[in-house]
Amino acid sequence: MVTTEPLTDVDPATATGGTVAAARRGRKGRRALQPHGLPWILPGLVLSVGVLYYCIGYTAVISTWDWDGISPNPEQVGLRNYTQMFADPIFWGAIRNTVLFFVITFTVQTVLGMLFAVLLHSRVKLAVLYKVIIFIPVVLAPAIMAPVFRQFFGADGQFNWILEHIGLGAITQPWLGQSSTALWVLMAITVWQWTGLTFVLYYAAMGQIDQSILEAARIDGAGNLRVIWSIIWPGVRGTTVALAMLGAIGALKTFDWPWLVTVAGPNHATEFLGTIIYRQTIPNYHVGYGAAVSILLLVLALIMAIFLQVRGREKNEKAS
Amino acid sequence: MFEVRSLPGKIGLQLLVTLLTIPFLLPLIAMVQGSLAGAGFANYAAVLSVGSIWNFFISSTIIAAGVIVLVYVVTMLTAYGFAKFRIPGKEVYFWLLLACLTLPEVVLLAPLFATAVQTGLYDTYWAVILPLAALQVPFAVLLVRNFINGIPDELFEAARVDGANSFRGFLYLVIPLTRPIAAAVLIFTLIGAWNNYLLPLVFLQDPAKQTITLLPSYFIGQFSNDQTKVLASAVLTALPEVIAYLSLQRLFERGLAAGAIK
Repeated sequence: MVTTEPLTDVDPATATGGTVAAARRGRKGRRALQPHGLPWILPGLVLSVGVLYYCIGYTAVISTWDWDGISPNPEQVGLRNYTQMFADPIFWGAIRNTVLFFVITFTVQTVLGMLFAVLLHSRVKLAVLYKVIIFIPVVLAPAIMAPVFRQFFGADGQFNWILEHIGLGAITQPWLGQSSTALWVLMAITVWQWTGLTFVLYYAAMGQIDQSILEAARIDGAGNLRVIWSIIWPGVRGTTVALAMLGAIGALKTFDWPWLVTVAGPNHATEFLGTIIYRQTIPNYHVGYGAAVSILLLVLALIMAIFLQVRGREKNEKAS
Repeated sequence: MFEVRSLPGKIGLQLLVTLLTIPFLLPLIAMVQGSLAGAGFANYAAVLSVGSIWNFFISSTIIAAGVIVLVYVVTMLTAYGFAKFRIPGKEVYFWLLLACLTLPEVVLLAPLFATAVQTGLYDTYWAVILPLAALQVPFAVLLVRNFINGIPDELFEAARVDGANSFRGFLYLVIPLTRPIAAAVLIFTLIGAWNNYLLPLVFLQDPAKQTITLLPSYFIGQFSNDQTKVLASAVLTALPEVIAYLSLQRLFERGLAAGAIK
């Protein structure tokens, strides 16, 4: 079909700029302005694809070395870094933390983000003020807020003070100092930081839902909860999938908060892949081992992204 | 979205939003309150009298500005190329770029460190600017390409008929028409560059070149463990970010509505 398309259907720019063969390509050629767009995308390819893929390749090579990062003659050790990694309980602890962290923070953020978006679309007073307060944490650097949270959740910090004053004095404890609670504090901090972004994206997506559908549903007698469940929630699917992807990759690359608030402790209770890579590569000089963990992290991130893309697409097709 | 007509219902809704918002405010209140504990505003005076504090702000500004300029120029060229030109194997290039979206910066640590030391870029701003820009470009290209796809081809064809080459088309059509999405790119890039902790931590050793994200640890060393002054420095470094966000808030929401949600 494409090859039989008449030449007259092709825009003049292509016909004059390219060859007749190019023009014959029809549909595809139609959108093109000139034959070679490669120079335009070259800077982007060199900067991102060039730098990043070079780094990935280099990391893969380093991961087979026993290297301190400086010595000119690293020792080739094959896959020993990887076998060492899979035998390390700290590594498996980090994997467990990452999964738990993603499931909890993503669920809570989605529920809160949806709730805020729906509520602030409902003609409450001072909506701008609420929006600003929820979004401010997104722009604040973890590195700057970390000392605040270290104090806030400390044994004599404000969080325990609040608990005492609302009658929950019995459960005050050093939240950051014990393995059983430290990870949960980090999850709370992450929810505090990112709910604003979830909210803003849902808010924008809900603005695009056709108002007449909502009105029709209401006339048919659908209540508020029914409207949210049957119209709004499916209507913002695309945003949910995108946020799931962001959240999964965010969980995999978690570094700033655990490193700055708890130094991945106590007793590795808040260890993530990012903190292992940093500790092994920089302070411990086990650059080869750090590179092996990096490669594993990368593979997990890619699998996650492909999985979520495919799932998202399948459901979209079913819906349509 | 919620339809509530009765007065008690309206008050209930308002109360619910307020209760849900309070936890987001608490850490900020704790931060300000903690910074004023003990000596009050003298804490701020003490922090500001540490002369080198300005170096941290200057470094952060240089790095953020460098990243923004680099990301903007590269993104505009690349997104225009992907959206409006025929490139053999275009999809392959695009997926190569998109795969970079999944890349956490921490996996770049070892190769970047080794490369930076070998090339003499270690302890220069470039060691932070280049990887940061490289990491921001894929997302920015995705946003801007979708946006440029929405600009009708006829506009470019008309320009071509009038004798404009593709570079003039870029300068006089792409640049002005992409302003709304460029605002979103600008803000994401600014947040990413200004808040980055890992790259300056690893690559900037000279205190005169360190960024504001390294300021808390600097002050913890400086004031041994006087928490009130550490918090005062946190407030001072958070303030420009809050002000920048408040003044760009409108632009930001428009930018998001323009492209981020598709």
